[in-house]
Amino acid sequence: MKFALEARQLKKQYQDKLALKGLDLQIEPGEIFCLLGQNGAGKSTTINLFLGFIRPTSGAAYINGLEVAANPIKVKEYLAYIPENVMLYPNLTGLENLALFSNLASFDYSQEELMTYLVQAGLPGEAAKRKVGAYSKGMRQKVGIAIAVAKHAKVLLLDEPTSGLDPKASNEFSELLLQLSANGTAIFMATHDIFRAKEVGTRVGIMREGELVDLLGTTELNANELEKLYLNYMHA
Amino acid sequence: MKPFWILIKYEWLNFRAYRGLVILSTLALVAGLYGIYYGTTEVERQRENIAGLEVLTQHNVAEMKTKYPSEADAGDIGYYHSTFAVHHPDSWASLSLGQRDVNPYYIKLRLLNLQSQLYDSENINPLKVLSGNFDLAFVLVYLFPLLIIGLCFNILSIEKEQGTLPLLLSQPISLPLIVGAKLTFRMMVVLGMALLLSIVAMVWGAVVPDARIALWLGVVVLYCVFWFGMAFLVAALQKNSAFNAVTLLGVWLLLTIIIPALLNVYVSIRQPVPQALALTIKQREVVHGGWDKPKRETMEAFFVRYPQYRDTAEIQGRFAWKWYYAFHLLGDIAVEDLAKEYQSSLQARHDLVQNLNVLSVPVNVQGIFNAMAGSDLPSYLQFLQSATHYHDTLREFYYPFLFKQVGFTHADYAREPRHSFTSTSDMPSAKNGLVKLLLSVLVVFAAGLLLFRWKEASVK
Amino acid sequence: MVKSIAQKEFISTLRDRRFVVLSVLVLLLLLAATVVGLYSYHTQQQERDVAQQTVNHQFQNSADRHPHRMAHYGSYAFRPKSSISFLDFGLDSYTGASVFMEAHRQNSANFSQAQQSSSLIRFGEMTVAFVLQMLLPLLIIFLCFSTFTQEKETGTLKILLSQGVSLREIAWAKIAGYGKTVALVVGPALLIASLLLFGRSGFEWHTDVLVRLLLFIGFYLVYFFIFVVLSVVVSGVHQRSSTALVTLLGIWILCCVIIPKASANLGNTLYTTPTRAQMDADVHEEVAKGIDGHNSQDARAEAFKKELLQKYGADSLSQLPVNFDGIIMAVGEEQSTKVYREYFAELTDIFQKQNRVSEWAGFLNPYLAVRNLSMGMAGSDFPHYLHFQNEAEQYRYHLAQSLNHIQTTRLKYKDKTTRLSADTWKELAPFTYEAPPVQWALGSHLISLVALFLWLALVCTLGLRLIDKIQIA
Repeated sequence: MKFALEARQLKKQYQDKLALKGLDLQIEPGEIFCLLGQNGAGKSTTINLFLGFIRPTSGAAYINGLEVAANPIKVKEYLAYIPENVMLYPNLTGLENLALFSNLASFDYSQEELMTYLVQAGLPGEAAKRKVGAYSKGMRQKVGIAIAVAKHAKVLLLDEPTSGLDPKASNEFSELLLQLSANGTAIFMATHDIFRAKEVGTRVGIMREGELVDLLGTTELNANELEKLYLNYMHA
Repeated sequence: MKPFWILIKYEWLNFRAYRGLVILSTLALVAGLYGIYYGTTEVERQRENIAGLEVLTQHNVAEMKTKYPSEADAGDIGYYHSTFAVHHPDSWASLSLGQRDVNPYYIKLRLLNLQSQLYDSENINPLKVLSGNFDLAFVLVYLFPLLIIGLCFNILSIEKEQGTLPLLLSQPISLPLIVGAKLTFRMMVVLGMALLLSIVAMVWGAVVPDARIALWLGVVVLYCVFWFGMAFLVAALQKNSAFNAVTLLGVWLLLTIIIPALLNVYVSIRQPVPQALALTIKQREVVHGGWDKPKRETMEAFFVRYPQYRDTAEIQGRFAWKWYYAFHLLGDIAVEDLAKEYQSSLQARHDLVQNLNVLSVPVNVQGIFNAMAGSDLPSYLQFLQSATHYHDTLREFYYPFLFKQVGFTHADYAREPRHSFTSTSDMPSAKNGLVKLLLSVLVVFAAGLLLFRWKEASVK
Repeated sequence: MVKSIAQKEFISTLRDRRFVVLSVLVLLLLLAATVVGLYSYHTQQQERDVAQQTVNHQFQNSADRHPHRMAHYGSYAFRPKSSISFLDFGLDSYTGASVFMEAHRQNSANFSQAQQSSSLIRFGEMTVAFVLQMLLPLLIIFLCFSTFTQEKETGTLKILLSQGVSLREIAWAKIAGYGKTVALVVGPALLIASLLLFGRSGFEWHTDVLVRLLLFIGFYLVYFFIFVVLSVVVSGVHQRSSTALVTLLGIWILCCVIIPKASANLGNTLYTTPTRAQMDADVHEEVAKGIDGHNSQDARAEAFKKELLQKYGADSLSQLPVNFDGIIMAVGEEQSTKVYREYFAELTDIFQKQNRVSEWAGFLNPYLAVRNLSMGMAGSDFPHYLHFQNEAEQYRYHLAQSLNHIQTTRLKYKDKTTRLSADTWKELAPFTYEAPPVQWALGSHLISLVALFLWLALVCTLGLRLIDKIQIA
């Protein structure tokens, strides 16, 4: 069976630190996998390995059955990414930024289609035609979401995507994720937000010092229990 | 290749939106146009001045004619009448003035001894020549690298610093493609400007259209590409923008100012020039000693060089023009070796620079430009030789009058030989320089590519 | 408080390995430039000394000659290099080193270094002044560009301000700290240069040289101070280090590369220099209207003759108690010299107008101000060169007239054969040149002096006012 995301004994050694200690993980299409963990637990390292931004010390990451390190360009056709802090070209408008990234992903949308994606992501229509330099963090985040959605990727990699969004926008984002997953998109989200993870995740992984210490289905637990469990691991 | 062109298109949008870059490019364009204006007016002024010399000569002839209404003694004419040896600029000189402002472009000559006249300098403002020429060559050699540095120092680092690199790299494109596209876009802008300015300068300066057009444009392209290669090399170090800016400016400073200045010191120590002064002092001794030497002795020495006048009449009395000019010639002959040595050591100095210019690409390129425009030291030396030769023909023109005692009539002024020398381009050294430039470009790009391979790309 | 911030800047700079490497490089360049400068000063000065002695000796021991022959035999004036010029060659490489001085003719100063070089020399020369004028500002920029921006980026500025220091105090503290660092780089080199300068003359006390040297150093210190303050202010008004750096580098390129060349070229375009040939022809024409010493037949000479005969109550020129040949020669010399000097003054006036553009540009650009002052103190600027040319011309005139006087008083009318012995020539003092004093040099650079100090005042008042308006958050 071809997994949307897969890690096999994935290891990353930095000069003085083993950041990831042999991760094994399979995520199927339509799944929303939430990775919880403190700063420095290895969440971003995992995402960067899936993105091919860093090379694994050993083991391999796969996107849609393709090894990332061997097909660094090809795999990017199957994935979309929203960083924790979406940064865009400040001298271009939101619309132009979206057009650029969509073009690079070989999508040639009309102005109306682009606008629809932006509005759908929650960006007011008049803001879309202003330069990004004047945007707030939340607005940039919304453009980032639009870029990811417009790519119609099989895999969505999210690194703290809701940071900087107000509660209303956060809720809308959760809705969007559920909608995407219903269409078969596999979602991998690194987050601190236990409640959001409980709300949208189909599975939750807890990471500590480069190791996946627990893996559970959210149907098994309610939010309070999850929080207790999480804090337990953190203080162990 | 589609993503490549998409990137270029958005680079254009970015470039257009960023005021600083537009101002920088406009400034470079304005500087270039001023350079062209300055170069052409300067050459035009030299041409006018040279044309003015003709008027002065005519005046002088008219004055002679009034002073000597009938036949004159050619000795008097040789003494009071002056002509000019002129060094016309090549049509390309307006693009690269080289040393034409420092070295005299005409020499006022009388029949007297040559060596005391050959090195007279022109009215030049030393502060102006110290500051140098703001010609197109200066704009291309000095300022375009700065423009390229200004456009490219943060080519990669800005994507990291403004945080767009992760998002960019999450698209199906590679880092070298991104850097390549950004570099290509900037190259199109800079090369477009450089080529445009060059063509404007060629049209404005009305250059002789020959192979030099291709050579000049080729050199301009390669030189710009060299600096893009340098920016590429520094980008491959993957450091921050500030580091890149300082490093690139440091390289510029090293190549265009420090290395040339050190080379200059080395050249003047390695290839000292014998004092031209010793030469003029020595000829003065010989010429003035001529008054007190027995006339026969002087004439015997003279006849060695011009045996055809041996059988002319013996000199009677205290003074005779032919004797006077004879000891002037002897003054020149006495320092012939010194003069040759002086000029050949200047040439050797130039050749030494030609060999060493591999150490600095700007020196090499300035050398190519000057060689093409015939505005460097070798042209001046050729002019000196041409003027020397002209003085010989003047002598040969006047001697028959003096020795055969023929009167100098008004019609004879028109028969007096005239001088005209136009500097020619030194294509062999220009081509030699082109090969060196090509090698420099290859080295820089190879080093950049290797470094990009060797250094793991980091997103942040 | 201020002291401890200054100390912090000083120490953290010294701990920055990149800065140490750059400083050592600049220091090495300074030392190399000092050695190179001294070497070329020595060789050139020696050549000129020897040459001057040779021609003086030749003149005084010349063969027996008729005085007018001697006037055409002439002499040479070699321009001695000023003793501080090894720090700043200034225009010396572009000005002629020697003038041939003879009767009736004013010759150009010939054989400049630039004429004996290929275009390589146009890239600039390695001198102490070059390092101080161009490289030190770059070092200062590199040192200071991130001084405020980094504190903003890391947030330490807020912490500093919360301790109760004002922005202005922080700025002054930074300036003090960086000033100290710059002094550490420049100090040793200038000290060595001064020791070399005075050591060579056996530490002989020479007030003029000392004052020139002190002013030379003083002007550069002001210049560095301006750049330190400017860099700190620019860093203060920017939010990001990289934009502050780019702004400062842009200022540097404009000040040190573009404006100097553009202003000199502009001056040249605005005021046209007449050619030497044209000037000679004009002088010749003008002189022809007067008395020509070699053509005593023309009408004006005739009138003069009559006047003279009347004065002495003589019937013919040979009856005059003085030699008419000498007198007419002297009158001719006087007239042609007068005309030449008028034209030469016109020419130098044009040059000075051209240079004035660069001097006024000093108000736009402290580099030009300090460059002029530096050359002025080193005695390698245009006014010093002009001074030498004028002195040489004075001597030439004096020499020609002395020889005319000898002819007038010791030779008979129409006597073209008598030759006087070398003892006669020994009566004439050889050419010596004394450079003008420092106050003269300062006086010719008043514009630059005002410009430099205006810059100082400007950065200290307006610049620091900008610091007050820094956006902290």
